[in-house]
Amino acid sequence: MTHSSARTTSRLSSYCDGLNRREMLSVGSLGGLGLAELLWMQESFAKAKGKPVRDINCIFLFALGGQPHQDMWDVKPDAPSEIRGDFNPISTKASGIQISDVLPRISTITDKLAIMRSVTHVDSDHGRGYHVMMTGKRPGAGDFNGNQNNNHHPCLGSMVSRLGTPGELPPYISVPNFLNSGGPSFLGPSYGPFVIEADPAAPDFSVRDITLPTAISTNRNARRQAVLREINRFERQAETVGRSVRSLDTFYQKAAGLMTSKKAKEAFDIHRESDKTRAEYGMTSVGQCCLLSRRLVEAGCRFVAIENGHWDTHRKNTYSLKDLLCPSFDRAVPALLNDLEQRGMLDDTLVVISTEFGRTPQINQLAGRDHWPNVFSIAMAGGGVKGGQVIGASDRRAAGVADRPITPGDMTATVLDLMGIDPRQILHTPLGRPIPLVDDGRPITELT
Amino acid sequence: MRVLPTILLGLLMTPAVTAAPPRPARSLEVAPNPIVLGGTNRVQQIQVTASGPDGRQFDVTHRATLEITGTERAAVDGSTVRGVSDGDASLKVSYGGRVVEIPIRVRNRTTFPPVHFNNDIMPILSKLGCNSGGCHGKQSGQNGFKLSVFGFDPRADFNALVKEARGRRVSLASPGGSLLVAKASNAIAHGGGARTSTGSPDHFLLSQWVAQGAPWGSDRAPQVRSIRVSPAQRVLRATDEQQLLVTAVYSDGTTRDVTGASEYTSNATLVADIEEAGHVHTGRVPGEAAITINYMGHVTASRITVPRDGGPENYPKLPTNNRIDELVWAKLRRMGILPSGLASDAVFLRRLHLDTLGGLPSPAEVRAFAADKRSDRRQRAINDVLGRPELVDYWTQKWGDVLLADREVLGERGAFEFHRWLRVQLATNRPYDEWVRELLTATGNSGRYGPVNFFRAARTPNELTRSVSQAFLGIRMDCAQCHHHPFEKWGQDDFYGMAGFFNGLKHTSLGPGRELVYHGGYQPTRIPLVNQLVLPRPPGGRGIENFGESDPRVRLAEWVTRPDNPYFARLVANRIWKQFLGRGLVEPEDDFRSTNPPTNPALLDHLAEQLVADRFDLRKLMRHILSSRVYQLSSIPNQTNADDEQSYSHHLVKRLPAAVLLDAISEVTGTPESFTGMPRGTRAIQLWDNRLPSYFLDTFGRSERQSPCECGSSTEPTMAQTLHLMNAPEIDAKITAAGSRIDRLTAGKATPRQIVNELCLSALGRPPNDREVRAAEKLFAGSPPRQAAEDFLWALLNSYDFLFVH
Repeated sequence: MTHSSARTTSRLSSYCDGLNRREMLSVGSLGGLGLAELLWMQESFAKAKGKPVRDINCIFLFALGGQPHQDMWDVKPDAPSEIRGDFNPISTKASGIQISDVLPRISTITDKLAIMRSVTHVDSDHGRGYHVMMTGKRPGAGDFNGNQNNNHHPCLGSMVSRLGTPGELPPYISVPNFLNSGGPSFLGPSYGPFVIEADPAAPDFSVRDITLPTAISTNRNARRQAVLREINRFERQAETVGRSVRSLDTFYQKAAGLMTSKKAKEAFDIHRESDKTRAEYGMTSVGQCCLLSRRLVEAGCRFVAIENGHWDTHRKNTYSLKDLLCPSFDRAVPALLNDLEQRGMLDDTLVVISTEFGRTPQINQLAGRDHWPNVFSIAMAGGGVKGGQVIGASDRRAAGVADRPITPGDMTATVLDLMGIDPRQILHTPLGRPIPLVDDGRPITELT
Repeated sequence: MRVLPTILLGLLMTPAVTAAPPRPARSLEVAPNPIVLGGTNRVQQIQVTASGPDGRQFDVTHRATLEITGTERAAVDGSTVRGVSDGDASLKVSYGGRVVEIPIRVRNRTTFPPVHFNNDIMPILSKLGCNSGGCHGKQSGQNGFKLSVFGFDPRADFNALVKEARGRRVSLASPGGSLLVAKASNAIAHGGGARTSTGSPDHFLLSQWVAQGAPWGSDRAPQVRSIRVSPAQRVLRATDEQQLLVTAVYSDGTTRDVTGASEYTSNATLVADIEEAGHVHTGRVPGEAAITINYMGHVTASRITVPRDGGPENYPKLPTNNRIDELVWAKLRRMGILPSGLASDAVFLRRLHLDTLGGLPSPAEVRAFAADKRSDRRQRAINDVLGRPELVDYWTQKWGDVLLADREVLGERGAFEFHRWLRVQLATNRPYDEWVRELLTATGNSGRYGPVNFFRAARTPNELTRSVSQAFLGIRMDCAQCHHHPFEKWGQDDFYGMAGFFNGLKHTSLGPGRELVYHGGYQPTRIPLVNQLVLPRPPGGRGIENFGESDPRVRLAEWVTRPDNPYFARLVANRIWKQFLGRGLVEPEDDFRSTNPPTNPALLDHLAEQLVADRFDLRKLMRHILSSRVYQLSSIPNQTNADDEQSYSHHLVKRLPAAVLLDAISEVTGTPESFTGMPRGTRAIQLWDNRLPSYFLDTFGRSERQSPCECGSSTEPTMAQTLHLMNAPEIDAKITAAGSRIDRLTAGKATPRQIVNELCLSALGRPPNDREVRAAEKLFAGSPPRQAAEDFLWALLNSYDFLFVH
């Protein structure tokens, strides 16, 4: 019954790039795309790029609050002290690349990292910055700050959920909470995240509704599922028409699959990791979120969004970074990348470290830094990204772009492109309004 | 695995085979007749219609043989005729042994008529997609070149082409080297590829315009007044075709063929889709499609019906309960499909209770209904539910959703008072038009007088224009705030004309969470983009010059609620129809457009007329719908109607909405839900506070009551929902709690059979069927009774029979 509300249009070409593909292969209907269509799209996109089809998954680590780029990724030792701050550059594993001494562990894995030092946009409010960096699109007026639905544009995870080929797990999972700009917008709730509303670092961590209620044994659950299948069988034959039944059926099969697949269910159980591994990532929220993400991606999740923070260092910037924020971050990121590499997963797992914006060049009167979207840094690794490189540059005060501006749209296009999803596709809202997946963004070709 | 899908899709997309032997034709008709071509660039699409022996008409435009007699005068390209030199010629059309010859008159062939930017160039920019939202029409333009989306601002587009980019887009010295001309054909590499080919009429016109000096054109040039399409409706066979003919009528009374220059959109591409230039192809799926045609902001539609192949030879005479049945059966007959049989009494009762009251019938009610052998028992049940208090609870919440009574925006007091006022209107069954008039003109203290909160949920004239038009008229005005509605006649003057009624509305704070809402008198309103004054006027209506001292909203409220308002009664009838039948006659239910026509217009007219005749008594309309056989049909399809989703040949199943499902689970388990701060026993459908914390309601998609948003349907399934139903400790606790239904049943002397019976009556509204009995027997044989009962109830709560209204 939701199908009918979707408007499919039949303009001759829905692609602005002139590729004359039929509309049915774009994404007009709420009914969702069949696996055949998804594979077809992915295949033709890969063909157009001249590359084989590969399922790349993504771990999207969002540093909420705004990471100070000049104190972490893009140090300016020659700037005056009120700009330079208290941190010093150190040489790293990748020759010629220096980062801040507040990230000593990350300095050992820069050979895997591509650091982008020229990201830029114009939204200096947390909600708006969050939205633009999660979706690639600027929000409308008043259209941000914790709207569960992302009124303006679906986030990357929802796009992947809609357009990526699915695995055994929910395709888009967020941890340790719903990310405020992580909603599906007009794609509808089916493409929203599966939210793990718990901190995997907590001793009693468990994922809501994934495990059976305590009194229910596995055998008993098997009996229940058998009865359910038996009761439902007739319905499925008789009411073949019910689209809503069929779409729920899909979710039931997935949920039942999840419950019966040991591998899938165990993915959520972080306690299965050895103490040594857990310690390697650090027994912190960000550390354990990264570890859990690796488990989820390993079991077939396509996109994990992690929220880490709060990086909003309006006061005591040095203290906050050095004592509160960077130690856990600096432990988690290298642990994740090394772990992925050792397991042979790094080539198929794209790791993105993003944030709303950078922070002001000038240190303020409270020894903090304020919001600064004019230029800042993000980083990527794995998933085909060539590590050991810096892309773009800020000026000598880390205040503006000096070379190769990178927009949030470019970042979104890059992630989709790397994941095998054509970023030039056009989505349609339930009213039939065509919305480009990415507005004016191009994949950052230097990355691969 | 990777190859197969490609092949499948290839099959799906194979165009209709047109090499079939000719169908017998009794006569041929060609339109237009005669063909008159004036000016160098004029062309004429022709349309050839054959009549079969049975009198049925079918299109043979692309199958007929077209020959020109006098090729020095005229030529034919495909099915389009163009002039070659001045004089007369003729077109010989033959098909299936029939021949017709019609005259062609070519005049002023050597004169290239002055090109007018708005009349001639703008349509090309639209047709080629240049100004679409995905390309240069988007907010930021594309690669530095920006056009207004769908061409709503021709002046700006003219400037963008002629004055920006240092004259590179339009170069008078070298028309062919102009970017406009060269990029369009990809002669200079174009990110959007070749949108047209060199030498095509569009391309020729673009270069002619530049050659003429890229003028704006005469201000006295005739303007398009309307467009018309032929045929406006037609019954076609599967994998058939139809050439449309689109004609523009200008302000000086002249007409022009714009078939090739219009844009086409189908609302059901599997039924009928558009290839090039108005050429409709039907697919293999029977149904109805509306082909929307847009030419320079003028919109019309052609309706294509594809009946099912091999429908019943002699369509039976079907019984009817009322006029609704007659109108639905008439449509089904046209479609060649038969309705399913009536649903069983048990299915009917459960459906009736869930749809009207938002709750399940109790086991006692189920038993009593099953025992009732009176022939009018269904009518009695309908009368019974329409008099119940739950009806008021449920519909108050539904209206709260429509009117966006969001506690976060209105505050507790405001949301509560709004809810309470709505409840009184529904409890007293006050005529709908009366309470809407009161609401639309409400003045007063938001903490005491509920309806003024409508003007707090939406505050500004623009917000109110959107919410009033969507809530009470079913018109989506959102588009027209920034540009002409792409699929409808609404323009910015309509939007800001309506906004004018609210301009001057005041909100004065009376302390925390309370405001005095009143209208301080009309204030002149401008269309921001063109900074032009616009008189307040209802959409499509006439401007109102003078309000005197009174509240302008009074005039709007009068217009909105008039019995002859084409939207007001239809929208509410459509809302109620959708609630009961699962799909609106117009879908989405509040998106009325000429380009989104109702699937059964006669039926929607009838419902609206009935409502007006009953003086907007909503319960009478409910009774009328519920009493029809159409409402009472089974959801199990027959061989002829399995594919039908829009003609009401069988009942469409729908998932229980979030609040109804939560209440149903509480009812069946016997363990009520407790809501923070609400009296014990409060049910989810009684909640006035839409923000009350509830993981269940959030997960199953309660209305967020936020400004109209294209956020997808809230009854869409998600993984979190299924996992919650299967595994949530909260639901497990409801099943096993002390005092639960299971607790009571297993504590007594009830046999397994009795337990299973009671659980099925409660959850499914019927006794268990054989399959359920067998499944239960296995459980009871293998585990202790209590555990078996719990497991059986768990399975019921997760079953489709429980989760859906059938």
